[in-house]
Amino acid sequence: MTRVVEVPTHFDDRSFDQFARALGEPNGERLLFDAHAVQWASPYGLVGLLVAGQATVERGDQRPQLTIPTDRDVVHYWGRTGFFELAGEWFEIHGRPPRVAVSRSSDVLLEITQVQGADDVHGVVSIIQERAAAILSGELGLEAKATMGFGMALSEACQNIVEHAGTSGWVAVQTYHWRRRLGRRVVVIAVADAGMGFRRSLEATQTSRYGDRWGDAAALEAALIHGVSRFRDPGRGQGLGGIRRYLNRWDGKISLRSGTARIAMVPAWDDDIPLADGLPQFPGSQMLQIIPAHQAEATTCKAST
Amino acid sequence: MQSIDLKTILESTVSTGYGNLVTRHTGRAVRNGIEAMLTQLDGQQVAVMDFSEVGCLDISCADEIVGKLLLGHGHARYFLLRGLTEAHCDAINLVLERHGLAVVTEDRDGQLELLGPLRETARRAFGFVAETGRTAAEEVAARLDLSTDATRQVLEELLARRLVRQEDDEYRVIKT
Repeated sequence: MTRVVEVPTHFDDRSFDQFARALGEPNGERLLFDAHAVQWASPYGLVGLLVAGQATVERGDQRPQLTIPTDRDVVHYWGRTGFFELAGEWFEIHGRPPRVAVSRSSDVLLEITQVQGADDVHGVVSIIQERAAAILSGELGLEAKATMGFGMALSEACQNIVEHAGTSGWVAVQTYHWRRRLGRRVVVIAVADAGMGFRRSLEATQTSRYGDRWGDAAALEAALIHGVSRFRDPGRGQGLGGIRRYLNRWDGKISLRSGTARIAMVPAWDDDIPLADGLPQFPGSQMLQIIPAHQAEATTCKAST
Repeated sequence: MQSIDLKTILESTVSTGYGNLVTRHTGRAVRNGIEAMLTQLDGQQVAVMDFSEVGCLDISCADEIVGKLLLGHGHARYFLLRGLTEAHCDAINLVLERHGLAVVTEDRDGQLELLGPLRETARRAFGFVAETGRTAAEEVAARLDLSTDATRQVLEELLARRLVRQEDDEYRVIKT
């Protein structure tokens, strides 16, 4: 028996819960991820899709199928992000992915990259240091200080996978123009893993402290707001706080989703809610960081993606 | 003063291909390298950690290197951080706040400053010592408009945290 999981036509952080709902709980059926109608997918959507495939395979279910988008531009974009090179391990792909080089273009700052160990984090940060500084300061009008802190925010996000997930994960970095949502260019870091999630990671040390309140939402709150870590070392648990402080300074947004909850530090330009609980279950943890271009840039930059 | 080039330590302890101080794993290896160098210094020598050639410094690495070195050795050794960018300072500051630590830094013009959470009086007292190079408690008291006893208390705090030195009856910057 095969069950179809529809990939949202506009697949990003806003439609992610719709995707999680469609994925549902595993029940032994073979899954077919149907992306044929997709018109747009953000890096967050793409790493989330990889996680869905990875989680299915890692729990021992049959490798799911994936029908690729029929829109030529969309499928080429997926190719440029490196999605198809990685998806083959987790999906039986239906349709012919285009032969496009993984991008070194100015919008894809970091193609989708697997993160498993400390070496991967070094690799990711080195690439970003090489490629991103000119784009972040030039196209987005960010101060040099903001571009230097960007590597820190990226590194800490990736280390979350290395230190807590218990499996590998994915990271992608991209800039694009948010015409409708913000009217400015943004740079986005999307990180996702199919690991144990925040609740399980913190359970041993935090359940008694939170009592009946303990759950995915409380775990996210403990990690992001209170800097709680599963390690006893008092130096642990600072990474998310550092990201939060960095994004706050540059009017950015962080959103963390794990299990059935999502927490966000919401800047004035966004209308997300700070804490959402009772969402459809999704494996592992997903992090989204968004840094908008400096306000003055919005009036001068005509580039659009 | 013994200058410890962190990029060199990074290359010798982790990999020659790395230019960034990122990940706890890397931070631990670099700290071990620094600790091996510290064994060659006596307690009065200042260990200068030079970040000039370091690209990105993340919080995990800052915690493993600066945080744990100060926690483990700060009571017995003088540390000075040099060649920091603002982004380095942000990462280190977060770590110092977490642990309630402070450290002396030197900017590119040789100016000494303090990083970390400290009372404003302590910061001002340090600033005066740094400005003069060496000074008596009475002079600091006059500048800060405090009683000599209160000033001595502040200076003793800086002394205990190894942020200044004392020689005879004078307080001195740690670099000289």
